[in-house]
Amino acid sequence: MSESADARYAAAPALPDILPPVRVRTGALGFAMRHPTMAIGLAILAVMAFVALFAPWLGTVDPTALAPAKRTRAPSAEFWFGSDAFGRDIYSRVLYGARVSLLVGFAVAAIASAIGLAIGLVAGYVRWLDGVIMRVMDGLMSIPPILLAVALMALTRASVSNVVMAISIAEAPRVARLVRGVVLTLREQPYVEAAITTGTTTPRVILRHILPNTVAPLTVQATYICGSAMIVESILSFIGAGTPPIIPSWGNIMADGRALWQVKPYIIFFPAIFLSLTVLAVNLVGDGLRDALDPRMVKRL
Amino acid sequence: MDRRSVLKGLGAVGVGAAAGPLAAPAIAQGVKTIKFVPQANLANFDPIWGTQYVVRNASQLVWDMLYGMNAKLEPQRQMVESEQVSSDGLTWTFKLREGLKFHDGEPVRAKDCVASIERWSQRDGMGLMLRAIQKELTAVDDRTFKWVLSKPYPKMLMALGKIGTPICFIMPERIAKTDPFKQIDDYVGSGPMKFVKGDWKPGATAAFERNKDYVSRSEASDWFAGAKNMLVDRVEWVIMPDPATASAALQNGEVDWWENPIPDLVPVLKRNRNIKIDIADPLGNIGSFRLNHMHPPFDNIKVRQAVQAAISQEDYMRAIVGSEDALWKPCPCVFTPTSYMYTEVGGEALKKPDLEKAKRLLKESGYAGQPVVCVVAQDQPITKAMGEITADVLKKIGMTVDFVATDWGTVGQRRASKSPPGQGGWGMFHTWHAGVDTATPVGNIGIRANGDKAWFGWPQNDQIEADIASWYEAKTIEEEKKIAEKINRGSMEHVSYIPTGFFLGYQGWRTSLEGVRSGPLPWFWGVKKA
Amino acid sequence: MSGYIFRRVLAMIPVMAIVALFVFSLLYIAPGDPAAVIAGDQASPQDVERIRQSLGLDRPFLVRFAEWTGQVLTGNLGTSMFTGLPVTELIRQRLEPTFSLMFVTLILAIAVGVPIGVVAAWRVGSWLDRALMALGVIGFSVPVFVVGYLLAYVFALELDWLPVQGYTPIAKGLWPWLENLILPSIALGFVYIALIARITRATMLEVLSQDYIRTARAKGLAERPVLFLHALKNAAVPIVTVIGIGVALLIGGAVVTESVFAIPGLGRLTIDAIVRRDYPVIQGVVLMFSFVYVLVNLAVDLLYTLLDPRIRY
Repeated sequence: MSESADARYAAAPALPDILPPVRVRTGALGFAMRHPTMAIGLAILAVMAFVALFAPWLGTVDPTALAPAKRTRAPSAEFWFGSDAFGRDIYSRVLYGARVSLLVGFAVAAIASAIGLAIGLVAGYVRWLDGVIMRVMDGLMSIPPILLAVALMALTRASVSNVVMAISIAEAPRVARLVRGVVLTLREQPYVEAAITTGTTTPRVILRHILPNTVAPLTVQATYICGSAMIVESILSFIGAGTPPIIPSWGNIMADGRALWQVKPYIIFFPAIFLSLTVLAVNLVGDGLRDALDPRMVKRL
Repeated sequence: MDRRSVLKGLGAVGVGAAAGPLAAPAIAQGVKTIKFVPQANLANFDPIWGTQYVVRNASQLVWDMLYGMNAKLEPQRQMVESEQVSSDGLTWTFKLREGLKFHDGEPVRAKDCVASIERWSQRDGMGLMLRAIQKELTAVDDRTFKWVLSKPYPKMLMALGKIGTPICFIMPERIAKTDPFKQIDDYVGSGPMKFVKGDWKPGATAAFERNKDYVSRSEASDWFAGAKNMLVDRVEWVIMPDPATASAALQNGEVDWWENPIPDLVPVLKRNRNIKIDIADPLGNIGSFRLNHMHPPFDNIKVRQAVQAAISQEDYMRAIVGSEDALWKPCPCVFTPTSYMYTEVGGEALKKPDLEKAKRLLKESGYAGQPVVCVVAQDQPITKAMGEITADVLKKIGMTVDFVATDWGTVGQRRASKSPPGQGGWGMFHTWHAGVDTATPVGNIGIRANGDKAWFGWPQNDQIEADIASWYEAKTIEEEKKIAEKINRGSMEHVSYIPTGFFLGYQGWRTSLEGVRSGPLPWFWGVKKA
Repeated sequence: MSGYIFRRVLAMIPVMAIVALFVFSLLYIAPGDPAAVIAGDQASPQDVERIRQSLGLDRPFLVRFAEWTGQVLTGNLGTSMFTGLPVTELIRQRLEPTFSLMFVTLILAIAVGVPIGVVAAWRVGSWLDRALMALGVIGFSVPVFVVGYLLAYVFALELDWLPVQGYTPIAKGLWPWLENLILPSIALGFVYIALIARITRATMLEVLSQDYIRTARAKGLAERPVLFLHALKNAAVPIVTVIGIGVALLIGGAVVTESVFAIPGLGRLTIDAIVRRDYPVIQGVVLMFSFVYVLVNLAVDLLYTLLDPRIRY
């Protein structure tokens, strides 16, 4: 109904609808309406990713620049989040720390899933290897993951990539077990047996029939690993086996400030807020994915 | 009645009633216990085999020594009643006090002392010097032993009474016969307290009980010298890996005494009127930055001088002690500021950082961006703090830093490697030395410059070595002071290593304790508990 | 049944062997020299070498491994290189605190987590459900030491209700024992409350849609018996499984909790040993952890048969 039409026919103006028309919303808003948890999670993650990417342009200074004369300052105009025990700007460290923590979270999720997927597929598909592989996985799983990661870090020097590898190795067996379980149930499915009897090659069976069906549970599992990896990174830093302090991560900012929590709580408070929000977001996305991809998976957590 | 006891009461009604027979019998009345939080975990208990300070600090309770240092760093007789030295200075004869007993009731005999000296001297720097000139060390009778040398050794009593590790503690012969490179497992001692082996939970607790049979000296107590009267029945060490927790425990009255509160938490402790805070050790510590003289880039004296010119001791010290100015001093010297050996002669380069000079020197050196392998122990707050400052400074003057963040166990191994930095070796690391060790050349291992036999970093400079050797022969304090100036100037010019400053630490205790003193180690004798 | 247990116990052996070999080879290639740490700053390289020899560290991998395996088979886990105490003794000292912490945490997590999950499932989709589950996700998202510090600050320092640190053996009384464990268990329990609440909710939803529940409701049974008697009983199997998995995670979380609250437990023993490279202790502790893990999982499997008569081995 255009304005010109209104002018031509001097009829009574259109009445507003008593109830707004019911429309199926599309686009971002519609998605948000249908999957509120996932939307909130993704929104938080988007903000964190933005912060990480654009850290240099968000009013930060060099996050590693020391100024011992200005140490442990409370939040102020100069130090928005205060300064740490070496006089470094916590605001800048937290923003730059987003890079490392997100990187650790996502890299671990990807690597652990990839390793776990490969091992799980082999174990689930190659019968004679299954026993051996799963015993090895059982063995690895029986070592508490944090202790395993600490031991692996003792093998090498502290660096972001080593932290990622250590946590990935500690997480991979759980993925492997999940994938193997999926593969074993799939193998019994008539369509897979049919494919095998009709002479489809093994790689093709895996690629066409098995792999696609592992994607859903694997993705959900990967999001939880992502969240847990960020927490584990902070725990490794707490123990003193995490990323080196010259590369800020939320974990090592907190580890640096932990002795001072009673007097300078903000050193630990700001990174803790960021870390918790991000992990929360990742878990919300995970829950959302789980519900969206496969409602039956609810029972698998 | 405070809230805590109310809650306890409620708990006793609610839970305790149900527990019935599980409820604890009343703790024996009248047992006075000091709960002490030491600087580190007591991971082993053999003061000769393992030389960490924490082991020494526990051992002093259990084993007595022949001589004890007083606050003026003069060795005083402790187990010894008298000593004689022959006119040529070659034969020393020592006589033990009467009535000394080990914890198993056996008397302390001269042969026990001989065995203890034998074991100690194989592991101690001065002990090794003595062994090199030793002709004979024998027990004359039960209370007398003699030590015959081929060369006079004027610092004999200093050696037997040294405070730095390892200390010459007196153990029963059967224990002292243990190979000095193997750990003892029998802790029968000669000191004012007995070690309660059954209560030793490494990483958690260690306990000591008063030795009722200890025969104390009658002189007033002064550091290791004089009386060692225990006024409590039991001392319990409670190991707390987290300083924030230790602070909270002290505030809450769950422990009585904390050896090393971190400076940033001290303001909170000071606000608590039940807690007293004081300097722990007036001799403090000297931070040190070791450079590897064997390999590039620090084999080049110009590069070493560039780093020396660049560093600001104030930055290092603030990173270690925090905002408290009372806790640190610049230290352009290789000797402890409170020692008579202290001098600032030669230390000009460390007084004020000069980045321009540093850059110029670096340019002259021909340094071409080789990475400096900086090995930093993350599990030690002091080395961690210094490492971060150094990485920052080196970057500022245009050096490339390869920051190897690791733990103390790895630094301990890696620093011993003489391979090139890229092949498992190292370029630099940090450590610190107790001021009591760096007071004189005796325990000051860092100043040695005898090349690959020197301390890690292996500086080589014959003049410094000759000066150090002449100190051992010096007869007067004046002479020693002259030598100190020479050693300091030489070390600074050669940049054997770089002192990063002098720092002190606090200790904190509940006001229920009386008689806590300052000193290089915590002294429990003479401390009363209300 | 006993045959099954026997087979499971037998299957443990390769797992333990793999763990042992894995840990041993990790240690062998790890840098770090306990002898250098023991000898201290004053020691010469020759001294360090002699200590290394006396600790047996100079011998090749296979010799050390064979010797250690032989010892383990006779029930001897060796002696700690630092303390000189037997590893079994060191573990024994630490067992009670760690298991007490785990026990109280598990009880707490079950006591709080299961009702939350049941209520959330009962009011599925409501704001109550969402609020409870949001709380659950937050439980996953906060590092345990942050929670620990907060609890210590509020309940120990400010309110002075509970001690900040330490452990009292249960032999000294139930309350002194519990008093020291309340704050650490809450800190450590956060994650497990969340975990158990989520799994309970999920299985309850599954069970509540089953016919017999509808029948029970149709018969006019009150909500509470339906929820807690009929439904929960059938939801028990997955919940027990999660508790089983949780034990391994619990040990990991205990490491941090033990540091924050100065509890002399196994987690701290392990971390101390790793940092110092006290090889026999690391090996012994890790071997024990995997033993516990395998045992717990066996116990969980056996619990299934009790909870669900349909499952038979």
